[in-house]
Amino acid sequence: MSAPLLEVESLTKCFGATVAVNAISFRVEPGEIFGFLGPNGAGKTTTIRMLTGLLRPTAGRALLGGFDIVARPEAAKRMFGYVPDEPNLYGKLTPVEFLNFIGDVYGMDGRRKRERIGELLDLFELSSAAGEFLEGFSHGMKQKVALCAALLHEPRIYFLDEPTVGLDPKSARLLKDILRAVTRAGGAVMMSTHIMEIAQGLCDRVAIVDHGRIAAIGTVDELRALRGDATLEDVFLGITGGAPGGTAAGDRLRSIVARSR
Amino acid sequence: MIQFAPAGPLRRRSAASQTWLLVVRLLHIRILAARREWSNSTVHTAAMVAGGVLFGLIYMGTYVGTRALEAAGATGLLATVPAWAFLVYLLTDIVIAFGQALGDLYASRDMPLLLALPVRVPALVAAKFVLGVLQNEIYILVFVLPFVLGYLGALDASWIAYPALIVGITVFPAILYAALVVVTIVALRIVPARLAKEGLWLVGAIVPTCFWIAMFYRVSHIAGDVTTMSLPAPPSWLPSTWLGWSLSAFGGVGTGGVPAGLGWTALLVFETFAICPPALWLVSRSFARGWSDSFAGAARRRTDPLAGVGARHSSIVALATKDLLTFLRTPQLWFNHIGALMFVVYLLVGHAVQTPILPLTIQLAMVQIGFVAVLGAVTPGMTSLSLEHAAIWLLKSSPLRPHEVLVAKVLVPFGQTGTIAAIGGGLLSAGYGFTLPQSFAVVAFGVIMAACSISLGVAFDTRHPSFNWENPNSINRGPRMVIPFLNGLGMLFVCGAALWVCKTAVHGTPGLLLGLATTLLLTAAAIWETLGRASRNLSALEV
Repeated sequence: MSAPLLEVESLTKCFGATVAVNAISFRVEPGEIFGFLGPNGAGKTTTIRMLTGLLRPTAGRALLGGFDIVARPEAAKRMFGYVPDEPNLYGKLTPVEFLNFIGDVYGMDGRRKRERIGELLDLFELSSAAGEFLEGFSHGMKQKVALCAALLHEPRIYFLDEPTVGLDPKSARLLKDILRAVTRAGGAVMMSTHIMEIAQGLCDRVAIVDHGRIAAIGTVDELRALRGDATLEDVFLGITGGAPGGTAAGDRLRSIVARSR
Repeated sequence: MIQFAPAGPLRRRSAASQTWLLVVRLLHIRILAARREWSNSTVHTAAMVAGGVLFGLIYMGTYVGTRALEAAGATGLLATVPAWAFLVYLLTDIVIAFGQALGDLYASRDMPLLLALPVRVPALVAAKFVLGVLQNEIYILVFVLPFVLGYLGALDASWIAYPALIVGITVFPAILYAALVVVTIVALRIVPARLAKEGLWLVGAIVPTCFWIAMFYRVSHIAGDVTTMSLPAPPSWLPSTWLGWSLSAFGGVGTGGVPAGLGWTALLVFETFAICPPALWLVSRSFARGWSDSFAGAARRRTDPLAGVGARHSSIVALATKDLLTFLRTPQLWFNHIGALMFVVYLLVGHAVQTPILPLTIQLAMVQIGFVAVLGAVTPGMTSLSLEHAAIWLLKSSPLRPHEVLVAKVLVPFGQTGTIAAIGGGLLSAGYGFTLPQSFAVVAFGVIMAACSISLGVAFDTRHPSFNWENPNSINRGPRMVIPFLNGLGMLFVCGAALWVCKTAVHGTPGLLLGLATTLLLTAAAIWETLGRASRNLSALEV
C-alpha cells in the first residue's frame, strides 16, 4: 500500500472557548477523491484552512506528502492547489497576469508556465476575457480562474472548498472530469460540498463532520449500509439531526407550515 | 411565531423618515464595525491618545504662533492666515472626499443590498451623504477645531465667537461634500463608467494641485517685513474664505468685528442648507441608473493575451511586480505622493514668509524633507499588506517564506516613497540654492527617513492588517491614520535632534556628516527591530 498523500491526526482548532474542530483524524490516499460533508458551521472550512496553512492548528498535525504543514510549511504548500469557498483574487490584474504571478510563486519554468496558462485558459473558455481585469469578472468566472491557479503548477493534492458553487453546468462537468483525471494520475482530492449528488457520484470516500467532529467516515456504500437508507442525503440528515421525519426541527417545520395554511 | 404565508402590506414611510432610519442604522453599523475592528483596547487607547496629542499640538502651535504674531504686530498676517488655513483644508479635503464620494456611492459593498430595499433612492443618497459628512467631521474635530480654538483663545475673542464658529466649521464639510457628490453622480451619468471612475480620482488630485500651485505662486511674491506682510486674498466665492473672514473678524483682526463674523457664518450656514438639499435631490433621482451603468467594464484588449508571460521570476520579483501593477492601476494610491510633493511646493513658496522667522539651514531643510518622507510613507507603508484585500488567502496558502513576502512588501512602498523623497529633496535643494554636497545630504536624509517610515508602517500593517475595505482610500481611516504617522514623526524628531546636537557640537561639514551618520545608525536600529517584528507578525498571521 502506498503512503497517504494527506494524513491528519487529532487536528484541533479553538477560537477562544469555542472548539471549531475537535481532534479529527483521517487519511487521503493517492488516487482518491475524499468528500468532506457537514452542515453549516460544522468545521469544514476551518479544517481546510488549517490544512492549507491559513490557520494554525491549536493541536494535532497534518502531513501533506509527508511534510508537516506547521513545521515545514513551504514544502507542504508546494504539494497542493487550493480553491477557497470565496474566489477572491487580485482585481487589478488580468487572468494572464494573475496566473503568471502564481506560476512564479510556485517556481515554474517560463516555457512550461506559458504553455500551461494557455491550455488552462482555453480549457475553461477564458481566453476571450484574458485581457480584462479580474475585478469585472462574475463569481463563476473568478471561480474558473481560481481553478486554473490551483491546476497551474500540477500539484499532487487538491483542496477544493465548495468548488462547484457559481459554475455553470458545463464547467461543473468539466471540473468533475478534471478531478477524475487528476486521481487517475495518482493525485488526491479533498473537497467540501453541500451537494449530495456530487458527493455520491464523485467521491470515493466521504467524511461527515458535525460540531467539529467526524461523525462518520467511509465509502458511500459503507455509509449507506450504516442505516440501511437509500441515499447519502438520508444518511447525512440522519447523522446531523436534520432529517425532517422524526426530529425536533421536522416537528417545528410541520407546525409552521400547518399554521400558515 | 414564524409564518411563511405572505404578509399584508408593510407600513409606508416618508422620504425624510427613511433617510433618518438609514442614517441611524448605518451609523450604528459603522460604529459597531469600528469598535469590533479595534477590539484590542490597548490599540484603541493608543489611537485616542495619539488623536489627543495631535489635537493638543495643533492647539498649542496655533495659540503660540498667534501670540507671537500679535506681539510682533503682524496684524496683516493674522487677518489673512485663517482664510488660507481653511483653503489648505478645503484643497486637501477635495483630494480625499472625491474618492470618498466614489467609495460611498459606487464602490460600497452594502449598496446592492440597500438598493434592493423598499427605500426611495433620494433617501438612500441623502443617508450616504450624511454619513460621508460625519466621516469628515472627524477631520474637523482633530485638525480644524484646535486651530480655531487656539486662534480665538490667543486673541481673547468674545464668547459668542465660539458657538458661532463651531456651527460654521461643522457645516463646512457638508457644502464641500455635497458639491463633490453632485459632480460624481452627474459624471457617472454622462461619462462612460470606467472612464468616469478613474477620471474623477485624477480630477480630485489635479484640480487642487493646480489651484494650490497658482495660489502659492502668489504667496511667493509677497514682499515686506512681518509687520507689513499679509497673505494674498483667496477667491471670495469659496466657503473656506467666508469661514476664514469670520474667524479673523471674531478675533478682532479682520474687518467688521463680531457682527461681520456672525454674518459670514450665517452666510455659510444659509448656503449649506439652501443649496445642498435641492441639489442632492435633483441628482439623486438619476443615481440608480448611473450605479447600474457603472458595472460596464471596458476590456483591455491585446493581440496576444500571453504576451507578458515568459521568463521565470523569483517569488519576490513576482510579488513586487504584482504590487507595482496594482499601484499603477489604482489612482487612489497616488494621492499620498501628490500630497507629499505638494508639501515641497508649499515649503518652496512659504520660504519667503518663513525664513525671516526661522532662519534656513541645511539641517532645517533635511528635517523638512524628512517630514515629506514621513508624509509620503503614510499610505504605501500602512497599506502594504492590507492591499492584498480578501485575496490574502493566496499569499498564506502559497509556498512563500515570510521574509520573501516582507522583502516585496517593503521594496515596493520604499520604491515609491524613496523616489518621492529623492525628487522632493532635489527640488527643495535646487529651490534653496544648495551646493551639490549639501543637496546630497538633504536627499540622503529624505531617503533614509522614507526607509524608516515605511518599515514602521509595514510593521504596523502586519500587526493590524485591514482586509475588509471597500476601496484603498478607506484602509487608513480611524486610528490607522494616526499611529504610524506619529511613529514616523517621533523618529523624525529623534533624528532631527541628533542633527541639531551634531551641528552644535561639531561645526561645518563634519557636523553635517556626523549628523547624517548618526541618523543612519538610529534608523538602521529602528528598521532592524521593526522588520524583525513584521516578519514574526507575518508568520503568525491567520486568515
